[in-house]
Amino acid sequence: MTPHFETHGGVRHFIHGGLPQQPRLLDCEVAHSQELRVELPLACNVAEGLLAVLHSCRYQSAVGRILCGGAAHLSYHRMVTTSDSQRPYDYGQPVVLDGYITFISGALTVGRDASGAPLLHCHAGFIDRDGQQHGGHLVLNRLIVGSEPLVLRLCLFDQVAYQVQPDAETQFNLLHPVLKEAS
Amino acid sequence: MTLAPHTAESHVQSGQLGRLVVARLKPNEDIIDSAEALCASHGINCAVVRGGLGSLIDGALHYLGRQGMQDLHVPGPGIEILSLSGEVIAGQSRLQAVLADADGNIFAGRLQRGRNLSFITVELTLQEWLPD
Repeated sequence: MTPHFETHGGVRHFIHGGLPQQPRLLDCEVAHSQELRVELPLACNVAEGLLAVLHSCRYQSAVGRILCGGAAHLSYHRMVTTSDSQRPYDYGQPVVLDGYITFISGALTVGRDASGAPLLHCHAGFIDRDGQQHGGHLVLNRLIVGSEPLVLRLCLFDQVAYQVQPDAETQFNLLHPVLKEAS
Repeated sequence: MTLAPHTAESHVQSGQLGRLVVARLKPNEDIIDSAEALCASHGINCAVVRGGLGSLIDGALHYLGRQGMQDLHVPGPGIEILSLSGEVIAGQSRLQAVLADADGNIFAGRLQRGRNLSFITVELTLQEWLPD
């Protein structure tokens, strides 16, 4: 199928190249969560710092927010059109910013890759040193804390993971909730 | 400036957080409708959004202005969800989002029901609120 838009009730839908499959909502239930406040220091690589914190925790996955903080360097991606007829939208080349970056919003998922290793997925909004706002898909192993500590709040859970799996409909590898043994 | 007199008592509810619902929305599923459907299927009366991350085909926000609710259309596709927060109660959910378009511009407001459809995926995590 060629990906295309359809409009129903005045709302655009996007039909991807792969066949849509039921169910449309995938979900798992977890009995409880563990809460963490993480403050990463100046000059910390955020991916490395966060994974070091999580290394000693018993969890399968986590979700959270960037509460506040600054960056000295970061790299993020925006969605662009591609020449691939089956996957006409993807992330483009990184936008790189340096110096005095202030976070204003951010969401984070800690999932698992195919080997079971932690995988970080983050979207965030921030202001550069010239006052320009930016938002997009943030690459956490290219994010260096600067100006002030970076504070994250995480909700960790066990027995369910956001696991990377191929998705035939969109033809992306995506995080899916799956049941797991207790870690 | 003169403050208007209080017309109602504040309502304070003590309680605790309960079960988590960890979900993925496939393409073309609306955020509010999906959040309410997830709560219904897990027997949850009230939930808070703990995580919301992914992309929308187009963004449809609104806010209360002098002339009533004002629409804020964020044309996509590939509108990134930077933050999602709020409370899920069947038929009465109020969810707020911060979104970014493909140029990196940021928009914020209350989500409109039925008009914020998942583009590629949305990771949505809800947690039950259990009043005492």
